[in-house]
Amino acid sequence: MSQDWARLPERGNLLVLRLIVWIALRIGRPAGRALLYPITLYFLVTAPAARRGSWLFLRRTLGREPGWRELFRHIHCFAATILDRVYFLTGRLRPFDIEIFGDRWVVEQAMSGRGCILLGSHLGSFEALRAIGVTLRRFPIKILMNTGHNRGITGFLNRLNPDLAQAILPIGGPDTLLRVQESVAQGYMVGVLGDRVTGGERTVRVRFFDRETAFPAGPLLLAALADCPVILFFGLYRGGHRYEIHFERLAERIALDRCQRQEQLVVWAQRYADRLEHYTRLAPYNWFNFYDYWQEEA
Amino acid sequence: MEALSPFELEVARLLVETLHLEDVQPEDIVPEAPLFGGGLGLDSIDALELALAISKVYGFQLRSEDKDNLRVFASLRALSQHVAQERTR
Repeated sequence: MSQDWARLPERGNLLVLRLIVWIALRIGRPAGRALLYPITLYFLVTAPAARRGSWLFLRRTLGREPGWRELFRHIHCFAATILDRVYFLTGRLRPFDIEIFGDRWVVEQAMSGRGCILLGSHLGSFEALRAIGVTLRRFPIKILMNTGHNRGITGFLNRLNPDLAQAILPIGGPDTLLRVQESVAQGYMVGVLGDRVTGGERTVRVRFFDRETAFPAGPLLLAALADCPVILFFGLYRGGHRYEIHFERLAERIALDRCQRQEQLVVWAQRYADRLEHYTRLAPYNWFNFYDYWQEEA
Repeated sequence: MEALSPFELEVARLLVETLHLEDVQPEDIVPEAPLFGGGLGLDSIDALELALAISKVYGFQLRSEDKDNLRVFASLRALSQHVAQERTR
């Protein structure tokens, strides 16, 4: 079941997260990073569904069956970005080397005073974006977030940085997207993650790594209704203290005809999927959807 | 079955037309039935489309900070009452 992701690595997070946060802030990043090894091992052993998800993904992207080292590397990469979230959320950006590509798209957008949709994914760290946007207060950013299944984590993050909590638009209730549209109309850039179907929502079929799969239709429909530009972002962790943030413009506006709506949505969703695939090839271990993404075993 | 008031029927027509509910006749909508989740099974995207259509036709904005939103979206009857109160045209 694809819904299993909701219980995956996030499952053990509350306990582990407390420990990580304490060590990260009191002792420092090298100590935190040393702990990533036992933590990775813990996940690798105790989360078989996540391990399976990792294995299926790596087999598809590497084109061969991954070994334990590669599974370890994958989960280690995930754990490393969780650790760094603590620094990003608390505005401690000094130890990091963050390279930004295509920033003119967001700078121009911010200067225009118009809102937009920032369409991201579970590839890498979206927290790097939040850190830049909110902590440094350079861009008016809000993030649409599912706070239901990981209330514990969100509570934790709220305590780390109340300003960031203010910038969250929680998913839930019929007026969720109305709130997003209002924020866009007020000039906010609203971050949405567009690669994970959580069940019960509208989807479109696209090709991703040479196999058809479902992507959510919501973010693109939202952009069409809000009549605003869509800028893609990818926050890749490149090892050590290096991050890369890539911005690209997907669309100045998404216009959908009444009668060809679904076909046109597929075209836009496919463009998003193609760019996501491009960046996933650049940094496959940044793929943080630890479940059977293509429903190969369904 | 309970009949819709003329204004409820008007709002029901807007709803059906805006959301392209091909299998639904406006006059068949049960006025007290939930619009979202159960009932007509509308989702958050429908709510946004509906809110935008209402602002265009009736000249006022449904605001998300409005605490009554869940009530407003609860049923056709609640929605129609709210529109009747707030409309500027």
